[in-house]
Amino acid sequence: MREFVHTTLLEPLTTIGTRILHFLPNLFAAVIILGVGWLLARLLGHGVERLLRMLGVDHLADQLGITTVLTRTGLKPVPSHLAGRMLYWGLVILTAIAALGALDVKAINQLATGFLNYLPHVLTATVILLAGMLLSNFVARTALIAAVNANFPAAATAAGLARWGVLLAALAMALEELGIAENIVVVGFGITLGGVVLAVAIAFGLGAKDLAKEFLERMLSDKPRDRLPDDLKHL
Amino acid sequence: MQQSEPSMPEATLLRLEERTETQIREIAQADILVGIPSFNNSSTIGHVVRAVIAGLAKYFPECRAVLVNSDGGSTDGTPDVVAKASVDLGIMLITDRQGFLHRIITPYKGISGKGSAFRTIFEVARRLGVKACAVVDADLRSITPEWIELLLRPVLSGGFDFVAPYYLRHKYDGTITNSIVYPLTRALYGVQIRQPIGGDFGFSGKLAGHYMDQHVWESDVAGFGIDIWMTTEAVASGARVCQSFLGAKIHNPKDPAADLSAMLAQVVGAIFTLLEAHQQVWIPRQGSRPIPMFGFQYEVGVEPVNVNVDRMIACFRQGLVDLRPIWEGMLAAETLQALSATRDMPSHHFHIPDEVWARTVYDCALAFHRLVLNREHLLKAMTPLYLGRTASFVVETQGLTTRETEDRIEQLCKVFEQLKPYLLERWGAVKEA
Repeated sequence: MREFVHTTLLEPLTTIGTRILHFLPNLFAAVIILGVGWLLARLLGHGVERLLRMLGVDHLADQLGITTVLTRTGLKPVPSHLAGRMLYWGLVILTAIAALGALDVKAINQLATGFLNYLPHVLTATVILLAGMLLSNFVARTALIAAVNANFPAAATAAGLARWGVLLAALAMALEELGIAENIVVVGFGITLGGVVLAVAIAFGLGAKDLAKEFLERMLSDKPRDRLPDDLKHL
Repeated sequence: MQQSEPSMPEATLLRLEERTETQIREIAQADILVGIPSFNNSSTIGHVVRAVIAGLAKYFPECRAVLVNSDGGSTDGTPDVVAKASVDLGIMLITDRQGFLHRIITPYKGISGKGSAFRTIFEVARRLGVKACAVVDADLRSITPEWIELLLRPVLSGGFDFVAPYYLRHKYDGTITNSIVYPLTRALYGVQIRQPIGGDFGFSGKLAGHYMDQHVWESDVAGFGIDIWMTTEAVASGARVCQSFLGAKIHNPKDPAADLSAMLAQVVGAIFTLLEAHQQVWIPRQGSRPIPMFGFQYEVGVEPVNVNVDRMIACFRQGLVDLRPIWEGMLAAETLQALSATRDMPSHHFHIPDEVWARTVYDCALAFHRLVLNREHLLKAMTPLYLGRTASFVVETQGLTTRETEDRIEQLCKVFEQLKPYLLERWGAVKEA
């Protein structure tokens, strides 16, 4: 009976106890990593936010149109705050992964390794999206001003098309970077772009055939335009 | 005036074409240089060159003179026309021609534009150590030999460093000059130079050296900004400035392929950039003073100019709707409100008051200075504003004579001068912040 109790009850309990005893330092280390990491993330997050604010990055972002882009995306349009929060959450995620690694559990380790390997793709995709948003804003504004200066009636539409064209391209590139349905993204983007070009071509050819005729005549002919006279010499 | 030494270290010299370098070595030294920048001007440049030849022969027979054609890669044979152009001095009753006129025909290097062409001309002037230079546009149809004397004589004999042109132009010719450049330059720098971007100037060899020493050749100065840059640099450097009455200016439109907004952006961009560079000069100046005028003044008829006012108003009104978010960033709320008040005005009563226009230009200068948005966008977003003001000016002056229109421009200049404190207060606020 004694032997039975020893082998069937005590031995497994001893094993579990030993394992727990072995695991406890790991858990302790994980808690420390998590605590220190969180503290560090908070400090660095706030520090970077203050530093950027002091350096006038918010003002610079205003001038470069970054704030406008951030407002459009629904983000809180204070770039220094945003950068601070991004750093904070980046560090928290890295700390959490490190803490999970410290636990030395095989399944968790595999998951953490997989996530770490995927992280660069997420970062790259984020950068692509942000750059795309900035570029789309710049391109849209350029198109809008050029269209208004050229007396093009649908200037706002042209600017919107330019914005969405750049945004779609950026989105397709970001999704490809993330490895999400790569072929579908490429084909989808191709079909969308082709559709847009076809729609514009049909609209230009049918809806504005007189305008198209005049445009082509102007491009291909050396003859002066037959329109209301305007020989204002600006300089 | 900050003056450069006649001989510059090799490192600061602009490298020219090998053939041009050889020609300069052969000529070695000259007294006078006349530069003609060109690009596809074969239809008009022959007349300009003949006027220059006759002018030099008639008025400066004793001087060693050089004609420099700085070409931007014309494909219509412009350099050939320059090379072949000749004048029968006999029929012009010129008999005492002593010197030989050297011709340098050279392509320019750098960014495509009039400024880069001028840079080559300045470099040749510096290498030859000339006493006086003149530059004249290649598209002129009204230039006469007297222009050459009027541009060079004040430098050679009057001790002036810079001679600006004074033309008789149609009231709607040079609308950027009339609505922005002249009033703004006059209000800021306190000097009444009527045609600051006339394009035909006389200047001393020393001033040419000063121009060459400035590192501006990759900016708007390389393009249409060159004229206002030359004038402003001359005024700001303390050069002695005068103007010469040249009669009527009849010319082909500047580079018909160039679009208005690019031209406007280059000219206004150069003015705004110079505002930052010469703060110590324009901030303390108050009012304005006339400058000496040379030449015999007379009245002439000028070619009529057709204007499509409705199209300009349509562009301005579209800007009020589509560019509103951009204008809100550039203009003060009251200025934009005043501009918006014109929305429902019928075309024949369309009017942007002088005060509103002056504030608009000053607001744009401040926005440029404060970098509230991309500068290229800011400058190009000014095009509908400028067209609106031009339409207003045309509506207001269509029944007026040239003299009466000139009085209206004088009135506008005074408003710019009166409102200069508006700019100064806000410019100062920027500095304190």
